[in-house]
This record gives sequence, structure tokens and C-alpha cells, in this order.
Amino acid sequence: MEDFMALKFLDKLKPIFHKMGVDYEVMRKIIQMKLLLDGRRVPTVFSGNNQKAKKDSNRFLASLWVYILMGLILIPFVIMKNNYIYQMGIVFGIIMFFVMSSLMSDFSNVILDTKDKNIIGIRPVDFKTIRFAKTIHITIYMFFITAALVGPALVVSLFTQGIAFFLIFLFLIILVDLFCIVLTSLVYALILKFFDGEKLKDIINYVQIILSLVIMIGYQFIGRLFDIVDLKIEFVPKWWQYLIIPIWFSAPFEMLKKSDINLNFIIFTIMAIIVPILAMVLFINKMSKFEMNLNKLSNHYQNKKIDRKGKVPFLSKIICRTKEERIFYRFASDIMKQERDFKLKVYPSIGFSIIFPFIFLFQQLSDNTFKEISKGKCYLFIYFCGLLIPSIITLMQCSEKYKGAWIYKVIPINNMEAVFKGTIKALLCKILLPIFLVEAILFGVLFGERIIPDLFLVFINLMLYITLCFMLIKKALPFSVAFDSAQNDAGINFVLIFALAAIALVHLGFLSIPYGIYINLIISSIATLILWKIAFRISSDNIYEG
Amino acid sequence: MEREITVEIKDLYMSYGDKDVLKGINLEVHKGEIIGYIGTNGAGKSTTIKIMLGIVEGYTGVVKVFGQDISKDKLEYKRRIGYVPEIAEIYDNLTAREYLTFIGELYGINYEVVDSKAKRLMRIFGISESYDERINSYSKGMKQKVLIISSLLHNPDILFLDEPLSGLDANSVMIVKEILATLSKQGKTIFYSSHIMDVVEKISNRIVLLNHGQVVADGSFNELKKSSKEGTLEQIFNQITGFDEYENLAKEFVSIVEEV
Repeated sequence: MEDFMALKFLDKLKPIFHKMGVDYEVMRKIIQMKLLLDGRRVPTVFSGNNQKAKKDSNRFLASLWVYILMGLILIPFVIMKNNYIYQMGIVFGIIMFFVMSSLMSDFSNVILDTKDKNIIGIRPVDFKTIRFAKTIHITIYMFFITAALVGPALVVSLFTQGIAFFLIFLFLIILVDLFCIVLTSLVYALILKFFDGEKLKDIINYVQIILSLVIMIGYQFIGRLFDIVDLKIEFVPKWWQYLIIPIWFSAPFEMLKKSDINLNFIIFTIMAIIVPILAMVLFINKMSKFEMNLNKLSNHYQNKKIDRKGKVPFLSKIICRTKEERIFYRFASDIMKQERDFKLKVYPSIGFSIIFPFIFLFQQLSDNTFKEISKGKCYLFIYFCGLLIPSIITLMQCSEKYKGAWIYKVIPINNMEAVFKGTIKALLCKILLPIFLVEAILFGVLFGERIIPDLFLVFINLMLYITLCFMLIKKALPFSVAFDSAQNDAGINFVLIFALAAIALVHLGFLSIPYGIYINLIISSIATLILWKIAFRISSDNIYEG
Repeated sequence: MEREITVEIKDLYMSYGDKDVLKGINLEVHKGEIIGYIGTNGAGKSTTIKIMLGIVEGYTGVVKVFGQDISKDKLEYKRRIGYVPEIAEIYDNLTAREYLTFIGELYGINYEVVDSKAKRLMRIFGISESYDERINSYSKGMKQKVLIISSLLHNPDILFLDEPLSGLDANSVMIVKEILATLSKQGKTIFYSSHIMDVVEKISNRIVLLNHGQVVADGSFNELKKSSKEGTLEQIFNQITGFDEYENLAKEFVSIVEEV
């Protein structure tokens, strides 16, 4: 096996591990094997798709640039010199958020691993060594994430705030990391105590979704952050501030830089140092209890309540004409509701779709007053919520368990029209309609009832757009392709973005004609109906197989 | 003839939450025995085995392996046991070479030694050409062979096998059965857990039947046959676990199938 840099560094700490009663050689073997596995985490798909075989490149390391980018937010806060307790509090708050959520999203499989116990635990390796291997494995990655996230800010602080600040910062970052590991595990332990493994997986899934959403939206705000945050507020110590963990970590900086030494700050500082170390020690000692609860991950005894016993949902009865369509409507809705990978890929887009139009509205707000905007035509920004439709339609072809698609071949349905129609309709009702409704209500509140006809037109136009997207995007049967081999044709996506812009511009154009909006409504409706008729004439040659 | 006791279980109780899985298991296992360890789904077979392997804790009672209480000395006895799990739990992004040498090294075997040993064992199973391919590209039977090899690399004295033949073709099954018989002749103890009764009947020289967390039958096949007056182990199994309605259930099943 190849030798990793991290392991060579670890070799230098060998005596320490020996002193702690860890079998260093074995631990090294385990970590080496884990790192090797991580490099291969991308599942290699063997079955006949023409994707280039990926080398042992570590996808994790490749994703670090996202953290570097997010870490840029921290820089203004370490440059500022007016109120350290707040600015560094924000810095540590952000660090904790990212470290913990990346722990949950990328390392839940490491923390929650039960395989180790079954494979290594039955060999003559004591659990202490396994635990250390696990902890160090996570720590190595935490090092990379933290370095990417805080590295730039740390360097900047050396030059703007001096060496003492830099060293304290570095030290506290390490403590925060430790604390995050323990805290995350604690959250898991707590969840596992009350719920079963499935629930935990759901919760992790939602954390992942929220993380990607925050990152997506975060990008939009990096530039504007300077204006939003005003740090001139005076700090008044209150008891509840002891509960805000980032403040513990920011107190030393206030003392260092403002020479404002008082009892509160000293207690904060002590807590910042003692609590993470204590938590870590306690955690290592109590880990076996946690692992007992982990067993729940593989055993689940709870009976789930089954809602909807074979009842055909009301909505599908109205919108699906044939029985086959209804079958696939329900099938698609069930998968969209249940498959975590699908949710992880699609839900952040949904959240983003809802927020996207508002990002543009806020941009307008910096030049105009709200009153001016609410009288104008900015409500057309609502079209931006359609930007993600192409990617959602592409994702609809994907599934984690794409191999299950063999059922399409054995069922006695030779016309795939119903399959696609049912799925697209499910997508419409379960995903796009809710997005639009939320958006429409918010815009209705902001711009008043005068835009109600426009909202109808927007709705019809979005239907038109979905149909168009479906026609132009390369088709595969729903849920039949692996996520990493989904065909993402940049060219067509580009065309589709322009198509959306064109639809919105036509809308804008008709607004200048009296009753133009109704003319547009009629044209769009007819266009949608025609396209809808054509779109589903699919010969099986055009369906590509994953 | 009093043979050496390798495993001793006394008053073993275990529960997950409020569900009692084991309700007082008592068992003495001797050197060279092949124990057919059978029971219905959820009877507690896997739990007993996992407790003996030291990966499930929180039980009450005493479990001794080679005379040592495993709750006290958790490490040393593991050098002398091997395990083939029911579900192919394996780091399957590794190649067989990487995986097997890793496992061997955990037992403190030198890399070169275990590498050559693993390769030769793979050759006998006829899969040596896949030695450097990732395990996730293997068929079910190949994975099973790797698992069997990984359980034997360190020449253990007790073997715990949970459905060890699943996925193997008929020829490989013959080899494995013969291997087990030979190992037992050389004094190894084998715990053989399976749902396939004909195999258990033929392979084991002692059968332990578990039902609802208790041992309900223990003896050689002939002894069991005498006491229950049934012809095959399958029938004995059905009788003892109180399952006699399979004909009715099958009829009902088919009638539902034919409804359409």
C-alpha cells in the first residue's frame, strides 16, 4: 500500500501513542487502509457505461476549494479591529458551523461505521486502538478542512494582528475542532438514544441538504457581507452568553487586543480551553457506550406506521388520464420522497430556486427604495426560480439504486409514454408546484394583487418551459442512471437558460400592449398544449441507457 | 471420553432495549466438534456468536473461550478464533491482496508470509487471477471465498461460520465441506450456523437448536431423531419450533397468487 504523508507525520508521534497504550503499528495499518479506501470512495461503475474510469483521486481533496472560498468570508472579520468579542465570535461561529456540518455530511459514515467493529473488532486488536484509529482518521480530514477554511484568514491575521493573535487563533482553532468532533458525536449519540438508525440517516440527510443550501446562498452574499454587518454594538455580559460557545473563544482576543481584562472574559477563556479537552477525554472513555447505541443502526425493531393504504392519491386521479400513468406518478413520488441521495441532490436546488429570485430583488434594493420596486416590473424576477428546472429534470433520471431499472424491461409495458408522463407529472406536483406556490405567494404579498394575472402567465410559461426542457434534454428512463454518470450537456443547458430568458422577455414585451398579458396567456397555453403532445412521442431508440 | 472444553457458556442473557434476545443459554463445546447451530430467524443465533466474538457487549452470564472469561481478557483469545459473517462485510474497495494482507497483519503475521499464503489459498479456490482486482467487482461466490480465506489465515482453533456456503457453486461447496471435516479431525472446533438443514444434518456431529433465545435441543442428529421420531433434520426443526402449518400456509399463498 502506498504511504501517506499524514502517516509519516504520525510516525513522529509514535512514543506518545505507545504511552497511551495504543498498539501503534496496528493503528497505522488501519489508518493506512482507511486512507486508501477514501481515495476509492467514488464507486467505480463497472456495468457497461462509457464513463472514463476515475483514477484513485480523492474526491474529498478535490472538494477543498469550496471550503477555501467559504473561508474568505472570515478575512474581513480578522482584519477588523473594533470589537473582537463579536468579530471573532462570528469567526468561530462560522468555523463551527462548517466544521460540524461537514463532519455530519462527509464523515457520518466514518463516525457511524459499524463495519470496523465486525471486521477488525473480531481480530486481536483492542477497541482502544480501533477508536484511536477512527479518531485520527477523522482528525486528518478535519485538518484539511480546517486548513482550507481558516488557512487564508489565519495568514491574514498574522500580518494584520500580529504574532500573538496568530498563535492564540491557531491554538483555539485546534480546540474548536476537537470540540466539534465531540459535539457531533454527542448529537448522534443523543439521536440514537431516542430514535433508530433510519431516523438518524434522515436527520443527517437534512443536515447535508441544509449545508449545501447554505453554501449555495453563501456565495451570493460574500461580497455584500461588509455592508450587512455592523459591529459597533457594545458588549454587555449576560448569563446566557455562557451558552454561546463561539463567545468563549473570542474572549481571549478581546483581552489581548483591547486589554479589557475582566472576570467574564477570563471565565470564557478558561471554558474555551477546558471544555473541549474535558469533552474529548470524556468522549474517548465513554465511546463504548456510544458504540452500543450504534448497534441500533443495523437493528431496527420499530414498526413504521403505514399511511395511505393502497389508496390512489386524489391529485393523481385528476391529472393522470391512464392507469399506467398513475402507477408511475405514484412510483416517482415515492422515490422522490424516500431516496436520500435523490433528496440530497434535488432539495438544495429547490431551496435555491425559492431564494434565487429574491437575491435579484435585493440587488435592486440597493439602488431603489422598496416602494419604487413594488410598483415596477421587478416581479418578473420570479422567472429565476425556473433556472434549476433543467438540472432537476436531468436528476430525475438518476437514482442511487439505478440498477433497479431492470423492472422497466420485464414489465409488460411497451410504450414508455406513460412512464415519462407519470414521472413528469409527479415532478410537477411534488416539486415544481410547491416551489411556484411559495414564490407566487411571497411575490403577491410584495407586489400586490395587480400581479395576479402575471402570476398565472408565469405558471403557464413555466409549464411551457418544463415541457421544452423535457423535450431537449437527453432522455433516460426515470431513476435508471447512476448519479455520477448522468449526462450533463452544457450546450443544451445553455440554450435552455436562454429559452427561459426569452420566455420572460416575451412576457415583458406583452406587458406594454393593453391586454397583452391575456394574449400572451393564450399563446403560451396553446404552445404548451402542442409541445406537450409532441414531447412524449418518444421512440425507444432515443432513450439512452445508463 | 472427556475432551477438552473450548467454549463454555453459562446463563447467558441478552436484551436489546426491552426485547429479550437470549434467555439463559447454557452450552459446553468440546475440541473437534462441528456444532450445527440452528434456529429460526431472530432466535438469537447471531447474537450468541457475536457475543463470543466480543463484538456485542452488555450481556449477563459467563462466556469462557479456552477457559478464559472473555469479558476479562478481551484480546488474546481472538488470536485463536476465525469468523465468516453472514452478510459479506468486507472493505470491498480494496483488492483481495490488500484486504487479506491487512487482515493477516492484524494478527501480527508478516506481510510476505500472509501474502503468499493468501495467494496460494486463492489459487486453490480457483480465483487467484482476481487477486489484484477490487473485491467489489467479485461475484457473490468469489466474495464468500475471500471471507472464508480471511477467517483462516491465522490458523484459528475455533471457527464461527454463518452461512459459509452462500453463493458458492456445487464444486466449491464440496471443497469447503471437506476442508471443514479435515479441520475438525485436526481438533478445531467449528460453529456452523445455517438455515439449510440438509447441509447441517450431514456436516455436523452435534446439533444445537435455538428457539426464542433458549436451547431447545442439543445432541447428535441420531439422538435428536430418536427423541422426536422424525426422519430429517428439517422435520425435527419444524416439530421442535412448533411449526406444523406449512402446508396450509403454502396453499393459502398460492391461492392469493392466483387471485388476479
